[in-house]
Amino acid sequence: MMVAVFATMLLALLAGRYGPGWLAILSLVACFGLSVGLFLFEIYSPDYGFRMPWLQTRLDSNLPGA
Amino acid sequence: MSAASLSRQLPALLNDLALLAMMLVLAAILTAAMTLQYAYGELPCPLCLLQRVAMFGVCFGIMLHFRRGYSVRNTGVSLLFALFLLIVSVRQTLLDIYPRPGHSYIGSTVLGLHMPVWSILIALAILLAFAIKLIVLGGGEHLRDARPLPVFHALAGLLSLYVIALCAINFVSVILQCGLGECHTFGYRLL
Repeated sequence: MMVAVFATMLLALLAGRYGPGWLAILSLVACFGLSVGLFLFEIYSPDYGFRMPWLQTRLDSNLPGA
Repeated sequence: MSAASLSRQLPALLNDLALLAMMLVLAAILTAAMTLQYAYGELPCPLCLLQRVAMFGVCFGIMLHFRRGYSVRNTGVSLLFALFLLIVSVRQTLLDIYPRPGHSYIGSTVLGLHMPVWSILIALAILLAFAIKLIVLGGGEHLRDARPLPVFHALAGLLSLYVIALCAINFVSVILQCGLGECHTFGYRLL
């Protein structure tokens, strides 16, 4: 997936410099979509982890009086 | 150039100068990151690579300005990727701020800060620079109708080629590091 991200970005840069504008914008939109998708995959992946236990986001039910 | 002509063209000149400076700084940062990768063997993690993509995206918006003339859309593209850079780098910094097995800052520090932390500062600097540029220069007709000075145009062309070359090198490097699968930092998959 990362290869596709860089391929579309390279295509966007090349088209922005030498090619038609529509191709540059289309490639850039594809690159942005792939990047956001990959970012969401990375942070929600069980291996890489969305969990950050040092950031408390829920009430701890084990606390006294909870 | 008369004083009246100069005062009319000054906002456009300042706009071009600011954008050129931004692209130059981004190219320098990308070059430094690649130097760390190739000279010191510090392979980038997936989120680090996405941060590079975001910086290329900011450069894309600036390149379009020098290629096709001023448009608020070009600024929008750069701002979008600057925001993406900020989100990715903040997320990575929060992830690595508490070291644990498999999750710690990758690579050496530069002036005491790791690359994701630098990326936050870079993203904030880009957003701040665009905000100040828009406040001071605006986005009126005087920018839309102006043509860049030949020397700025030539410099921007050279810098654009350099950025494209950096992206091409990164593309080949990503193929070697990640293949068609996930990226890892312990070696080049295809070498």
